[in-house]
Formats: sequence, C-alpha cells, structure tokens
Amino acid sequence: MAVLTLDRLSKRFGARLAVDAVSFEVQEREVFGLLGPNGSGKSTILKLVTGYLYPSSGTVRVGGIDVVRAARAARERIGYVPEDSPLYGHMRVTEYLAFMGRLRGIAGRPLDRAIDTAIERLSLGTVRTTIIERLSRGYRQRVSLAQAVLHKPELLVLDEPGNGLDPLQIIELRGLLRHLAQDCAVLVTSHILAEIERTADRVAILLDGRLLTVEQIAPQTLAAPVPSPLEALFLELTQAKAMQ
Amino acid sequence: MSRVGSQVATLVGKEVRTLFTSPIAYAVIAVFVVLSGYTFTVSLIVGKQATLVHIFFQSAVQLILLVPLITMRQFAEERRSGTLQILLTAPLREFDIVTAKFIACMTVLLAMTSLTLVYAGVLAAYGDPDWGPIYSGYVGLVMLSAALVSIGLMISALTANQIVAAVVSLGLFGILWAIDTLASLLPQPFENWLLGLSLLAHFTPFAVGAMYLSDVGFFLTVILLGLFLTVRALARR
Repeated sequence: MAVLTLDRLSKRFGARLAVDAVSFEVQEREVFGLLGPNGSGKSTILKLVTGYLYPSSGTVRVGGIDVVRAARAARERIGYVPEDSPLYGHMRVTEYLAFMGRLRGIAGRPLDRAIDTAIERLSLGTVRTTIIERLSRGYRQRVSLAQAVLHKPELLVLDEPGNGLDPLQIIELRGLLRHLAQDCAVLVTSHILAEIERTADRVAILLDGRLLTVEQIAPQTLAAPVPSPLEALFLELTQAKAMQ
Repeated sequence: MSRVGSQVATLVGKEVRTLFTSPIAYAVIAVFVVLSGYTFTVSLIVGKQATLVHIFFQSAVQLILLVPLITMRQFAEERRSGTLQILLTAPLREFDIVTAKFIACMTVLLAMTSLTLVYAGVLAAYGDPDWGPIYSGYVGLVMLSAALVSIGLMISALTANQIVAAVVSLGLFGILWAIDTLASLLPQPFENWLLGLSLLAHFTPFAVGAMYLSDVGFFLTVILLGLFLTVRALARR
C-alpha cells in the first residue's frame, strides 16, 4: 500500500515553476530517494509533502489523507527533518523531545516511553541532558531524527540529512536510515548520488522541477560492502589516530 | 484540558521560557521599573496627589518603546533559524501558534505592568486614592499592550530579520501614537478619521478614569485584526 502519493503536484513561485506536475508513490517500509542538482525542486517537494508549502495544483496524500484539506491528521503521520536540522539550541535534549512530543499530543507515561525509545534508537543516551547548542553536528542530526520518529510516523521525510556530516557520521547515518525504514517509509533527498544509491530502494531523478524517471536500485548495490573499501580505509586510519 | 489546549499551553510554556532565557525580557522589565519608579517618586513628592495618571501615560510611552523588543524575535527569529518549519509542520493550526506567542508576550508584559501595583499600594497606605481611575488605567494599559503585541507579531511574521521587525514596529507604533498631531493639520472629515486611529486618543480616557465602549471596541478591533493578519502572514506560503 502506498504511504505517500503525489498526483500531478506543481508549485509556482511567481513566474517560476519550481515543481512541474510531479507524480510518484512511496510504499510502506521503502526508502525513496529524490535526486537532482541544486534548484531541481527536491526540497520544495519535501516542503509540499510536509505541508510547509501549499501546492499551486495537484495533491499530496499521506496514508490516503490530503495534506492540505486534512492538514492536522496528515501531519500526525509525518516525521520531518528539515535541511540543516533546525533545533531550539537553548533546550536540553530530553526537554526538546518532550516539547516536540507534547506538540504532537503525546503526554504522561507514553511520552516518557517514546522519549526513552527514541533516545535508545538514536544512541543519544550519553547526551540526553546536554544543551543542544553544545552538541556536535552529528548529534544534532540525531536529535532532529529523534524528534521526527517520536510519534511513530508512517512517513519520515529527510531533507539532505548528510549535509555537513563527516564520513564517519555519514556511514552511521546510512545504517540509521535503513534501521528506521523497518518501521516506516522514508523519503530522503540528496545531491550525492552514491549516498542515495547505498540507502534507497528506489530513486526519482528531478531536473528543473520535472520528474525525469523513477528507478529501482539493484539489490546487489544495496547489499554492497558497508563500508566501501575507501570508507574502510578512512575508518581504520581515523580510528587508529583516535586510539593514539 | 483538550488536546489543542494542551498543545497551546506547551507552546506558551516554551515561549515564556525562551523570553526569559534571553536577557531581553530582564532588560525591558528593569528599564520599565526604574523609569516608572522615578516618575512615581517625583510626581508624589512634587504633586502630593494620590494618583497614578502620570504613571499610566509614562507606561504607555514605555510600552511603545519596549514592546517591539519583546515581539521582534517571535516569528522573525524562528524563520531565520529554520525552527518555524518545525512549528508549521507540526499538527497545529497557524492560529494555535499565533495565540501561544500572543499569550507568552502578554505574560511578560502583564508581569512587568503588575510591578507598578506597588505604587497603588503605597497610595492606599499613605493616602486616600480614587480607585476608579486606577482600575480604568490598568485596563487601558492591558488593552494597549495587547494591541501593540498583536501588531508587533504581525510585523515579525513578515520578516526573517528581528532588527527590521523591531524598527518597523517602533515606527508604526510611533505613528499610531502621535497621529492626532497630524490630524489637527487636516480639514474635516480627514481629521476625525485620523483621530479614530490614534492610540493616544483612545488611551487617554482610560488613564483619566473614563471608560468608553468605543475605546474598548477600538482596542479589541486592533487586537483581533493584528492577530488575524499574523495568521494570514503565516498561512501565505
């Protein structure tokens, strides 16, 4: 069953057509990648899917619910990590997760359990009481992912999650995405082909707001050695350095 | 509490904590208290009258100068840092977000204004004040605060730069406060039209102890219009 359905979705900013009649579906437990050069409309599509932007025409349905007509119900089914993972830097990690949980209507013991589960899944135990602005970029990305999975969404939407991460953090993120996809569909953008190829089950390629193709990733690519030989060398050297 | 009420309360709590995490709220309250304390002391010693009229007018002018510092970052900073995306994609209506920010700003301003109740206590302890003008003066300050906050939020929702939001708010508040000066230069019916927009003209009766339904209606209209336009500014995307 399709968790996400885009039907001839378009978005116009003044005279510029940023997204031009894009249609595709994302299935349950699927990692679906959006690829394209800068300005191809990837982030705009994510903002339309999450309801941050309203479409000029066409529809977006999450779990069969229209994100414009039934915004509240649709948003309850989505977890969203915007580009650069914006967070409230003055809050502590658990305080931020509690805030986001309450905004989504979770409270009391279920909220405590949801926070504990998210912290465990995202390996945030050592920083749970740390003030967010003191965290490294990798940990901030994890906190952002934790708030997005707190309410067990049907669809996880990630905008350039690898931005600014070092190779080690990117390798960790890759494993994390596959892990999260066991419970929900994942829609992820990137302009790094190799990253999407290693993570996604299917990819859509966009150019100038138009969908060029949707391709299945070969299973042997997904099953390719993780990490790659170069990544393995990088890990060996950096970890050896860290050990010294 | 309903689910929406609980979500709004969560947002209000976060906004109030955010305001008190930055030094701005403390600086605003400190300036307000020092200046109003000075005015109260001087007017009591010189005038020897058990009245707070001077305090009400001075507080109103201070609100015009200080409210932009409270409202400027409410949406502008969220937009700049990207956290507005988090709020606007959560299962909330724009109205809920605007209401929460309005309540949070009013909480700070009411806390600040309530500190001047000490002066009313001093008057009661050492004199026999006329309580009517004191009650109406506080109602006027609350009305004025709410009107300024709703306009300030609207301007903050239109920009990603909090300095721009503060400067534009300050300019607009100044114009709306003193527009009756300009009105006096114009022929009828333009004079009356501009006088109808003057914050000073609508605040003065409250400060001197006269509450008119027309003035209450004016402030309620400004508050609701400001909040409505703020919601529209957020929804235009």
